[in-house]
Amino acid sequence: MSDALLISNAVLWVIVLALVVVVFALTRQIGILYERVAPMGALMLDQGPKVGDASPAFELATLQGPMVAVGQTTTGRSQLLFFLSPTCPVCKKLLPILKSISQTESRWLELVFASDGDRPEHVEFQRKAGLTDFPYVLSQDLGMAFKVGRLPYAVLIGEDGKVRGKGLVNSREQIESLFEAKELGVASVQQYLDQSA
Amino acid sequence: MNAFNLITDAVVSHALGAALSVLLLVGAWSKLRDLSLFRANLENYQLLPDGLVAPAAVLLAAWEFTCGLAVLLSPGSALTVLATAALLLLVTGAVVINLLRGRTNIDCGCAGLSGHSGEQQLSWALVVRNTLLLLALFIAAAGHAQRTLVWVDYLSVAGATLALLGLYVAAGQLLVNHPRLQAIKRS
Repeated sequence: MSDALLISNAVLWVIVLALVVVVFALTRQIGILYERVAPMGALMLDQGPKVGDASPAFELATLQGPMVAVGQTTTGRSQLLFFLSPTCPVCKKLLPILKSISQTESRWLELVFASDGDRPEHVEFQRKAGLTDFPYVLSQDLGMAFKVGRLPYAVLIGEDGKVRGKGLVNSREQIESLFEAKELGVASVQQYLDQSA
Repeated sequence: MNAFNLITDAVVSHALGAALSVLLLVGAWSKLRDLSLFRANLENYQLLPDGLVAPAAVLLAAWEFTCGLAVLLSPGSALTVLATAALLLLVTGAVVINLLRGRTNIDCGCAGLSGHSGEQQLSWALVVRNTLLLLALFIAAAGHAQRTLVWVDYLSVAGATLALLGLYVAAGQLLVNHPRLQAIKRS
């Protein structure tokens, strides 16, 4: 009798743990589903201007005042558009990395920060984060044009005004993979990662 | 066996203690591994002056790690209960202040088993979650060996610990899903 109870107990634990794993997998899948269905929540790899397409052109005022050409640059350099927000921790983590990249790659690359929302908040953020040397633009239309869903999001635009790479970036590797994407001519960070995996 | 004895039975308290300890250790580990991210998360709560954010981030992560070890090694000691309860109350207080400010769109920065950064936003569910963790801490501390443990008890502890952790991760995923569901409903 007690053997029977022991065995049933052990069997039940195995089943309980298996069910917990299944429940987790289901919640995860539902989450992915929500994200795909949500209007602004998705990775949106297939939306917005495609890699290789001409980038939409904007003429925007930076927080400091001067105008900057976004999309179709006139300086002959490529442009890295970095979409961020003052409340996005991963964005803040990437700022020192971006600053060092902009220094080492300044020969061919210019860095533009983009966001939208409350102007005073962004001015304060720009000052605190030490971004006053960079063009920083606020434009909802810009984010809409590139269908930016989640942050931090980066778009690399070639010196010819064509989109060369874009995607959600969470690390130095992913930013650098945008440059790789430009050289290799692949469509996105995610595609690049898939290929190299 | 009355209800109190059942709840403080060694199997229940050991399982709760072990699960809580793993939560704290994994949470602390992932914060220490990416301190710059945790600093940014902490800054986001807008509770500390700029100069204090960096030391506070190290302190909080180290504190969490110490609590994880303490709950694992000596769950019954008054010092363990005090330090861990203080940590839980402190972070829950920080969440509540920001919820009352209406800042529900910021990242909780919970890290570890709570999912990747940027996924879990502040909500009252986090307050409920932390209350449950506090309860688990007290039960783990109140547990005592009132009977001789046999090997099948260890099977129960191992099974229950894994099941609790699995449920925690699944519940965390539901919290991650919730704002996405709201976004769909709004559209």
